[in-house]
Amino acid sequence: MRRLLLKLRRRRALERDMETELAFHRDMAAAHGNPTPFGSTTIIQEQARDLWRFTFLENLWRDLIYGFRGLRRSPALVITALLSLGLGIGVNTGIFSLAVEFLLSEPSVTDPRSIVSVVLGGNSHARPDVVEFVRASGLFAEVVGSNEETFINYDDGAETRQIFCVQTTRNFFAALGGPIAYGRGYVPADPDQVAVLSHHFWRTYLHADPAVVGRTIRLDGRPYTVTGILPRDYRTIVGFGFSPDVFVPRYLADTPLAISARLKPGMTIGQARAAVLTVARRLDQALPDQQSYTINTEVTTAGGFDRFHSQSQLQTVGLFFVMLLAVVGLVLLVACLNVASLLLARGSARRQELAIRLSLGAGRGRLFQQLLVESLLLAIAGAAAGLLLHQALAAGLANLQLPLPFPIRLHLQLDWRVLSYAILLTGFATLACGMLPAWRSIKRSIAADLRRDSRMRGQRALVTVQVALSVVVLTAGSLFLRNLWHAHAISPGFDVVHTLRADVNLPPAAYRDTAHKRAYVAAGLRALSALPGIQTVAAARIVPFTDNTIFGSQLTFPDTGRQVHTQFNWNAVSPDYFRAMSIPILAGRTFLSNEDDHSVHHVIVNRTFAARYLDNRGVLGRTFLWGDNKAPYTIIAVVADTKNMTIGEDPRAQLYENLASIANDRTRLQFVLRSATPPAAQLRAVHDALRRVEPNAGLEVSTLYSSIGLAFLPSQVGAVLLGGMGILGLLLAAVGLYGVMVYAVSRRTREIGVRLALGANRRDILRMILGSAAKLVLTGSAAGLLCAFFLVKPLALFLVPGLHPADPLSFIAVAALLAATALLACGSPARSAAAVDPGSSLRYE
Amino acid sequence: MAKSDSPMLLQGTLDLLILHALGRGPLHGYSIAETIHLLSDQALKVEEGSLYPALYRLELDGAIKAQWGLSENNRKAKYYEITRRGRKLLAAQQETWNRLSVGIQRVLGSSR
Repeated sequence: MRRLLLKLRRRRALERDMETELAFHRDMAAAHGNPTPFGSTTIIQEQARDLWRFTFLENLWRDLIYGFRGLRRSPALVITALLSLGLGIGVNTGIFSLAVEFLLSEPSVTDPRSIVSVVLGGNSHARPDVVEFVRASGLFAEVVGSNEETFINYDDGAETRQIFCVQTTRNFFAALGGPIAYGRGYVPADPDQVAVLSHHFWRTYLHADPAVVGRTIRLDGRPYTVTGILPRDYRTIVGFGFSPDVFVPRYLADTPLAISARLKPGMTIGQARAAVLTVARRLDQALPDQQSYTINTEVTTAGGFDRFHSQSQLQTVGLFFVMLLAVVGLVLLVACLNVASLLLARGSARRQELAIRLSLGAGRGRLFQQLLVESLLLAIAGAAAGLLLHQALAAGLANLQLPLPFPIRLHLQLDWRVLSYAILLTGFATLACGMLPAWRSIKRSIAADLRRDSRMRGQRALVTVQVALSVVVLTAGSLFLRNLWHAHAISPGFDVVHTLRADVNLPPAAYRDTAHKRAYVAAGLRALSALPGIQTVAAARIVPFTDNTIFGSQLTFPDTGRQVHTQFNWNAVSPDYFRAMSIPILAGRTFLSNEDDHSVHHVIVNRTFAARYLDNRGVLGRTFLWGDNKAPYTIIAVVADTKNMTIGEDPRAQLYENLASIANDRTRLQFVLRSATPPAAQLRAVHDALRRVEPNAGLEVSTLYSSIGLAFLPSQVGAVLLGGMGILGLLLAAVGLYGVMVYAVSRRTREIGVRLALGANRRDILRMILGSAAKLVLTGSAAGLLCAFFLVKPLALFLVPGLHPADPLSFIAVAALLAATALLACGSPARSAAAVDPGSSLRYE
Repeated sequence: MAKSDSPMLLQGTLDLLILHALGRGPLHGYSIAETIHLLSDQALKVEEGSLYPALYRLELDGAIKAQWGLSENNRKAKYYEITRRGRKLLAAQQETWNRLSVGIQRVLGSSR
């Protein structure tokens, strides 16, 4: 290819050389008495040009000009192609770059490939001294810790609001490197209260003023000096579009930290894994707690493609995207078939032109190339429209606030991967649009027999395929819709209908110790239970579906001496929590409101915990030792399971402690309330009551139903995207069907006129036209449903348990929707057929 | 367009002949034709109409390379030279040709 271009540039020189050379040859030949036959020079030049591909390029150029002119004369075709292909290519590149951004993007740090995340003993987060231990071990080039699950109160002088804050070790920015838009990241030498702001926060609350760097903002009532602003498309090491508002050095003494580390040059992840185990073993000996750091210890790549190898839930997400790409690919195919059907119609109008050119000696290959160049032009125009759509989608997504309990902002980019995908799609669209029409128009121009019936066969076949494809896409979409309903029907294990939740973030300066927090909880509970219409009030550290922290802990049962490694979700709650949430207590009793006896800890476990770790035998009153606590824990009750993170998840073990008896180091608290009146009507009253108890707290009150939106996210995304794609595909197919019917009616006008003149009544005509449409739709949907039946099987992976991919209701709904759309698409052509005036239609020709 | 009073050349044999001629040293187009003519005891005559396209093709393939020089009568002429790749090609084609001609000889001999 490179050589070809080079030749093209030197074309003039090449041809001059050739002439000189041939002149020399002829002179020599003449001198030796061999005159050259006339005309042979031209032939040589032609052959040489062919050889150097000039002919090919010249023809291509001519075809482009010709095609461009031809298309300018048929704006309807161009507009349809632009819309169909633009939508098709737009959504395809959109989903593709979403997948690239979500799954493959690398964090905005220096040399992102060398960053790994380290999990010790199955704990997602480790104590600060453990992080320090790993750092001091010298195993890694750099070790940083960060806690991404913190809210902090931002006070702009007028109002206090909770913003999302990441606490990090001091070396965070220095060790990771990476871009800063204004100012700099904080360094270990900085004072305690410094902050780095996200672009979004800076724009939303600080008017995008660069002079903010060096000034102070008030967080949790304390002044923090802003050292820097992150760039707009900063990607955190957590990935997945997670974009917190502010980064500050760790300010709470015991905040557990997720460990990220930079591999030393030349160290592979396998070596790191082995080396971390030795560090974990030393940790087990060095730290005086019951925790075993060697079990469930992992080192995984922080970003990029490698993450797939180590994290199995990611593979499911990856498959989900592959499925989405397949579905939008089908939609693009439906769009291409629309254009193909128009090109077919155009081809039969151009039959004469092609026949003349063929008879004048044009090669079939040349004509084929010319026709394909036309669809290439259409595809390129469609791709340009598609990329515009992609940019619009990207801009929309960047500003979209997703209904999630943590900030996710995705920055779609037109990078080389997306552009190459768009080019690939353009090639695909060219062939899908152009192959069949080009082949058929050439074949038809050669064949003498031009029966009317055969002329429509191509278009009818295309519409049938379109209908079939739309059915497949629609079936997938409707399955996810059903999944959404089904997911809503599954109980999360607690009441989401009658409940509210207040999310409180206390100012840490005023609530430094546990006693203060307990006093606040008591005051809050009192104030809330005094509200009219509120039946039960409870406090908790965590509300399900908002916190994915998993404890991996070694429990020791003194009675048998058995040690068990457990993994469970943890919560600390007030006694009425189970009543407020309607979580049934299966055995035992709930906590007492004032258990001042700290010699013994009471805990409540869920059914799965009892079954998994205690074999359901002698659960009540069972004691165990946990962590570095000398006092034993006693199980006083077993409660029913709840879902904790997703609606479809397998049961998880859970352990509850009494909120009143733990040493509470965190200032974030939850109240859950059970209301006799509709909970949405209580929002204001609850907000005001809690404001009165502590005016300086960050406060957010919502219905529990709305705050667990995350649980429904996978089904919602699936339902919205696939449902949308299904509708889009159906619309495109309807347009195709409409076009074919209009065309068919216009072709059969004379035939209809004859029939009417011979005594057929209008109902017969209507039946005839609708019948031919029905045949198309029925064949298409039968084929589509059959394909869908097999193709949607793998979707079971993404559906909630209990919903089968071959869900008959979905299939029936799709068939009904399709029939209705088809009827709409055929209505007007059929009516115009029935309205044909026999007299004028016969006079017409 | 092989209008020629010399025997028709088999497809591909022209490449072989050109490469063979160039194997003895760089030559310009006319002298390649002359060399083949002489070496074949005037049995084969290569027309410019087939010679030059073949030369350009071989040059594109990288089997030979061209350079402008001065001819024996002091005129500007394009000299072709065989490349290492061309020598390999020559050896391979020669081998194929030998087998082919031996085969053909046998067939013709047995039918006699």
